[in-house]
Amino acid sequence: MRRLSFLVIVAALALLPVLWPDPYLLSVVAAAGIMIIAAISLNLLLGFTGQLSLGHAAFFGIGAYTSALLSLGFDVDLGFSSPLVVAPKPVWVAFAGGIVMASLFGWLLGKVAFRVRGAYFVIVTISFAQVMRMVALNWVDLTEGPMALVSIPPLSLWVPGEGVVRLVSKASTYWLVLAAGVLAYVIVANLVRSRIGRAAIALRENEVLAKSIGIPVTRCLIVFSVLSAGIAGAAGGLYAHTVRIIDPDVFLFIYTITMVIMVIAGGKGTLAGPVVGGLIFGLLPEMLRGVVAPEVQWMIYGALMILILLFMPKGIVPAFGGLLKRGRISVRRPSATQGASS
Amino acid sequence: MLIKPLYAMLLGGALLASQAQADDTIRIGVSQPLTGSVAASGTYVTNGARLAVEHINGKGGVLGKPLELIIEDNKSNPREAVNTAEKLILRDKVPVMMGAWGSTFTLATMPKLEEYGVPMVVETASSSKVTTSGNPWVFRISPTSMMEAQAFAKQLSSFAPAIKKVDFLSVNNDWGLGAAGAFKEVLESKGIEVGRSEIIAPDATDLSAQLAALKNSGSDTIIVTSGVEQLTLAIRQAAEQGIKQRLVTTGGSFPEPLVKNPGPKGYVSTHLLFFSPWTADQSIHPDIARTYMDAWEAKGYPFPGLTEGFRGYDAILTIAEAIRVAGKAEPEAIRDALWKVKLAGVNGDIAFHKEGPEGRESGQNTPNIYIIQLQDGEVSAL
Amino acid sequence: MDQFLQHLVNGTVLGATYALLGIGLTLIFGIMKVVNFAHGELYAFGAYVAYALVSLLQMDYFVALILAAGLGLLLGASIEFLLLRRCRLENIDEVMLIMIGVMIIMQNAELLAWGGVAKVVPTPFPQESIIIGGIYLSPTRLFVLGAAIVLLLAFYLVIERSRLGLAMRATFQDEDAARIVGVNVGRIYTLTFGLGSSLAAITGALLAPVFVVTPTMGDLASLKAFAIVILGGLGNIRGAALGGFALALIEEFGAAYISTAYRDAIGFLVILAVMIARPQGLFAARERVG
Repeated sequence: MRRLSFLVIVAALALLPVLWPDPYLLSVVAAAGIMIIAAISLNLLLGFTGQLSLGHAAFFGIGAYTSALLSLGFDVDLGFSSPLVVAPKPVWVAFAGGIVMASLFGWLLGKVAFRVRGAYFVIVTISFAQVMRMVALNWVDLTEGPMALVSIPPLSLWVPGEGVVRLVSKASTYWLVLAAGVLAYVIVANLVRSRIGRAAIALRENEVLAKSIGIPVTRCLIVFSVLSAGIAGAAGGLYAHTVRIIDPDVFLFIYTITMVIMVIAGGKGTLAGPVVGGLIFGLLPEMLRGVVAPEVQWMIYGALMILILLFMPKGIVPAFGGLLKRGRISVRRPSATQGASS
Repeated sequence: MLIKPLYAMLLGGALLASQAQADDTIRIGVSQPLTGSVAASGTYVTNGARLAVEHINGKGGVLGKPLELIIEDNKSNPREAVNTAEKLILRDKVPVMMGAWGSTFTLATMPKLEEYGVPMVVETASSSKVTTSGNPWVFRISPTSMMEAQAFAKQLSSFAPAIKKVDFLSVNNDWGLGAAGAFKEVLESKGIEVGRSEIIAPDATDLSAQLAALKNSGSDTIIVTSGVEQLTLAIRQAAEQGIKQRLVTTGGSFPEPLVKNPGPKGYVSTHLLFFSPWTADQSIHPDIARTYMDAWEAKGYPFPGLTEGFRGYDAILTIAEAIRVAGKAEPEAIRDALWKVKLAGVNGDIAFHKEGPEGRESGQNTPNIYIIQLQDGEVSAL
Repeated sequence: MDQFLQHLVNGTVLGATYALLGIGLTLIFGIMKVVNFAHGELYAFGAYVAYALVSLLQMDYFVALILAAGLGLLLGASIEFLLLRRCRLENIDEVMLIMIGVMIIMQNAELLAWGGVAKVVPTPFPQESIIIGGIYLSPTRLFVLGAAIVLLLAFYLVIERSRLGLAMRATFQDEDAARIVGVNVGRIYTLTFGLGSSLAAITGALLAPVFVVTPTMGDLASLKAFAIVILGGLGNIRGAALGGFALALIEEFGAAYISTAYRDAIGFLVILAVMIARPQGLFAARERVG
C-alpha cells in the first residue's frame, strides 16, 4: 500500500507536464525540485542523525562548480612545472564528478566537524561554507571568481529514435529533476531503513546510550555526511546545468537557511518532510510575488519558521500524521506521506 | 486525484492571477534587484523607469496605448534573474524587457532572451562579455568599463598635477575587477605607471588596512571602484589616514552621504559619473535632464538617486522609441527597430552600434561621461 | 614595514569593538549554550537607533549611545522572554533556529523601514585626524577605542564583583545548583540575553559614525563575532575579549602583508584551524564551560 501510493504520486507528478504544459509553471516547480533534493540531503544529517549542519550550501556549491568546471574544461597553474589542464568532459561525466567531489568534502568535513557537537559543530559547518565561498570568489583563475561561470552546457540524453537530445525544454528539465528527486528519495528511504540508518536514529535519540551498545558513532555519522554531501552535490550539478550560470553566491548562508526552513517546516527526520516543506517554501515565493513586498516575504518565512518551531516542532508531516491517526480522516495525500514517513 | 491538492494550491495562489492578458496597454518587463545587496541602486533605476513611463503616458503613450511596467525583483541573485525573465516572458508575455542591473544578472538572463526571442535593453552592466558573446537580443545603453577607461584617458590632461602613477582599490566583484583591468590597460598604453592593486570584499566596512598599505606606494592617484557605501567609507577613511593621493572613483557611483556629512575640510575627491544632477546644465540635453529631475523631485525620491535613476529613465525612453519605430509591440519588430533608434536621453544621444561576432551582433550605445569633484560637500565640474 | 605602527593602531581600535561584540555573544553562549544568530542584528539595531536619534531627531550623540544600549537591553530581554522561554534548553538546536528566524525578520524589517541606502551618522568630534609620529588616528576612532575599553572594564566588574554577576557565574557553572541556592534562573537568562544584546547594540551605535549604517551590516558582524568567540573558546569571556583583539590584528596584518582579497576569509580559516587543533579555544585554560 505504501509502495503503491508512492508510485501513484510519482506517476501523477510525472504527468504534470502533459496535463498542464505551462512552461512557467514547470520551470518554477523544477527550480523548487532542485531545492527539495538539497533539502532531502540536509534531512539526512539534520533529521536522521540530529546534527544541525548549517554549511550545507557548500556541498551544493561544490557539486555545482565541479560539474560546471569539468564540463567546460579549465587550466590552472598550481605552482608545479606545468599547469593542470583539463579538457571539457561529457556533461554526465562532469555531473558524476560533481557528486564525487561533494562526497569527498562531505567525508573531509565529517572527519573534522564530528569531533565536536552542538554549537561548535554549527559554527564549524558555517565556517566551512564561508571558506568555500571565499575560495570560489578569489581563485579567479579556476572559478572566474565574481565574474561567474557562464555558458555551462545543459545535460543531454540519448533518446531512441532521436539521438542525443539536449535537455533544455521546460518539460525535459522538469522530468530530469523529478527523476533525480525520486532517486534521492529512494536512496534516503533505503538508507534510513538499513542497519546503519537505524544506528543513526539511535544515535540521535541518545548518543551516550548508542555508544554504549556498540554503535560506531563517528563512522556512522561520516557515512551519513558523505551520502548527504553527495546528494547535495547532485542537486548543485542539476542547478549548474539548468540555470547555466553560477557565481560564488551559491555558497551563501541564506541558501542553507532556505534548505533548513524546508526541512524543519515539513518535518525533520521524516522522509516526506523535506518534500512537503520544499514544495511549500519552493512555491510560496512565486505565489507571493507581487502580492507583498519581498522584504515582507522574507519576514513571513522567518515568522513561519519561528511559529512552526514553537507550536509544531516536529513539522507539518508528523503533525498531520498524528491528526490522521487520532481522527481517522480519510484524506489520501497526507495518509500517503504519513505512510512513507514512518 | 492526487494532483488535485497541487492544483488547488496553485489556483489559490497568485500564480495564475496575472495570466489574464491586458491588450489595452503595452507591457514592458523590468528585472531589477529590489532586495539583496544592491537593492538601493536597483530601486533607483526602477524609479527612473517609472518616471519615464509616466512621462510618455502623459503625452499619450506609444501607438495610442499607454505603457505598463511589469516590475520583478531579481533579488540580487542570478538564479532569480533567470526566474524573473521566465516569469515576465512566459507568464506576462512582455514583448521587450529592461534589466537586469549588473553583468552577472544580465549574463544569467541572456540565454533566456535567445531561447524565447525577446529583446532586452541593458541599463547597467560593465562587463564586455554582455555584448561580445554573440547574443543578438541584447542592447546595452550603459558603458563598459573599457569605454569608461578610454573616456577617462581622453580627459587626462584636465588633471593637474598630471597623473603619473596609479594604484587601484577595487571591490571584489565582476565590476570592480573588470574596471581595474580596463583602466590598467588603458592607462598603461598612455604611459602611466601602474602600482598596487588592493581588493575589498563587497561587504567590508573597515578599509583602513588596504588604505594604509597604499599610503606610501609612491603613486599620485588611487582609482576606486565600488558602490556608494564603500566609496563613502573609502573617501572618509582615506582622509582620516592622511592619504595624499588623489582619489578617483569610477562606474558612475557617487558617495552621496558625503554631501550632507563631509569628511575633513579641504579634502577633494574626483568622480566619473554618467549623469551629474549637480551640473545638469552642462549635460548634452539640459532640457531632458531637467524634465527628469523635476519628475524625480516631485515624487520626493532622494536627490542622490538621480545619478543612478536616469539609467532606468533612458532605457524606457529607448524602448518606447523602438516600439514607436517598430509600429507594433512584438519582440522581433522591437529588436529590429532598436537598431534604428536615435534619440536624446538624460545621459546624451542614444544609438546602438554593432559589437560581437558577425551575424549575431549585440547593440552597444556610446554614453557620455562626466567628471566632477567633491570638496566639503560641494560638487563642481572638473 | 613603514606603516607597521599605523596598522597596529588600526587593528587595536577595531579589536576593541570586536571584543565588545565577542563578549556579548560568548556571555549568551556560556549561560544558555546557544549561538545567538541575531547578535549581528542587534548590532545593526544599535546603529539604526543612533541614526534615528542623531540624524533624524537631532539628539545628542552621547545620549543616543546610552539609549541604544538601553533599547538593546530591552529588545534582547523581550526576545528571550517571548520566544526562547518556551522551549529553552530542551533543544538548543531549536533555540538556534529560532534565532535564525529572528535574524531574518530583523534584517528585513530594517530593509523595509530604512531602505537599502546606506545611512550616515554625523560624528560629534572634529574630522581632522590626530597625527602623532606619522600615525593618523581620527578623534572619533579614539573615542570608540576609549569607550570600548571602559565598557570592557565595566562589564568585567559587573561579572566579577556584583551580585548579578555572581548569580550569572553560578548559573554558568551549574544551573541546578544555582537554582537550589535560590537564584532565579529564568530571570538570569532574560538578563543575560538582554545584557549580551545591549553590548551588541552599543557597539553598533559606537561604530555608526565611523562606518555607514546598512541593513546587511549585521551579517558580517555576526560572522566576526562567531570567529572571535571560537578563538577565545565558547563561553569564555576573557577569551572573547582577547580573541577580539587577536582577530582584528590578524586581519589587519594579514591584509597588509599577505592578501587583501582573503581578509574576511581569515576569520573562518582561524575557526577551522582552531577547531582542528584546539577545539576548546586558544585562551581556554580554566574558565571554559559547555
